Amino acid sequence: MKTLSDFRVGDTFSHARSCDRHRPVYYAAGGGDFNPIHIDPEAGREAGLGGNVLQGLCTMAWAAEACAHYFGDPGRLRRLRVRFARPVRAEDTVTFEGRCVAVEGGTVRVQISARNQRGEEVLKGASAEAFFG
Amino acid sequence: MAIDLKHLGRRYGPYRCEVGAERIADYAVAVGGGIPGRAFTDPGRPKAHPWHVDEAAGRASPYGSVIAPPMFAASFTIQPFAVACMDPEVGVDLVRMVHGEQEFVWHDVIRPGDVVETTGEITDLYARGALQFLVMRTESRRPDGRLVVEGIWTAVVRG
Repeated sequence: MKTLSDFRVGDTFSHARSCDRHRPVYYAAGGGDFNPIHIDPEAGREAGLGGNVLQGLCTMAWAAEACAHYFGDPGRLRRLRVRFARPVRAEDTVTFEGRCVAVEGGTVRVQISARNQRGEEVLKGASAEAFFG
Repeated sequence: MAIDLKHLGRRYGPYRCEVGAERIADYAVAVGGGIPGRAFTDPGRPKAHPWHVDEAAGRASPYGSVIAPPMFAASFTIQPFAVACMDPEVGVDLVRMVHGEQEFVWHDVIRPGDVVETTGEITDLYARGALQFLVMRTESRRPDGRLVVEGIWTAVVRG
């Protein structure tokens, strides 16, 4: 298990996840979000999204996984904040790049970028905190 | 049509969630690239941190049991947000709505057997150009009142 002394400002970490064709349906089954824009391509087209799009909360959960790997313990996460900048679609791969920006008291703060395979940001201003009291 | 400011402070819930190990595993597997459920799922399951899906690994962890991934909270705290977005009184056009921003603050881990009740309150309504923003704050508490997780949900409705 990691302890506070294992974290340094400037540490980096990365994580990648792919959105296969059925991922929005699987996320709906696990996460309970059956908004038609996520599971029905026709509904997504009607909404002007060009097809169905992955639940932003799934992208956020991938960001949480990235943090959990770095922190070494999923139960340490205390805060995660994201802005959804662009939809994630089937066949997209999202790469999360994290950087430790502060170690203060017992709190480790990180910033995370999330880009698709074209280099476009899918999350903006993502940041997280973990507590190692 | 603009969302009427009179809906500021409108509250939803409480919604009760009885957390089970299967529900935790389904969430973790769905996020982790596997297939949730118990029929026609992939043989490679589980594709998630063992503390979320493996009882023995959970027992051997510092938590002494399976714990939910932090974002599992999204699966039940979404309820008041979704109800507000579908509330005909509020009048959000769901077809034009996207999830704009999200924040969670966790105060405790969640384990199988936990009971959590979530309430939501519309805390901000504003427009920026042709976009309208609805902000909801959710609080999820144990039956004894202890706070488990807070959420700040921002819906963006295109004009």
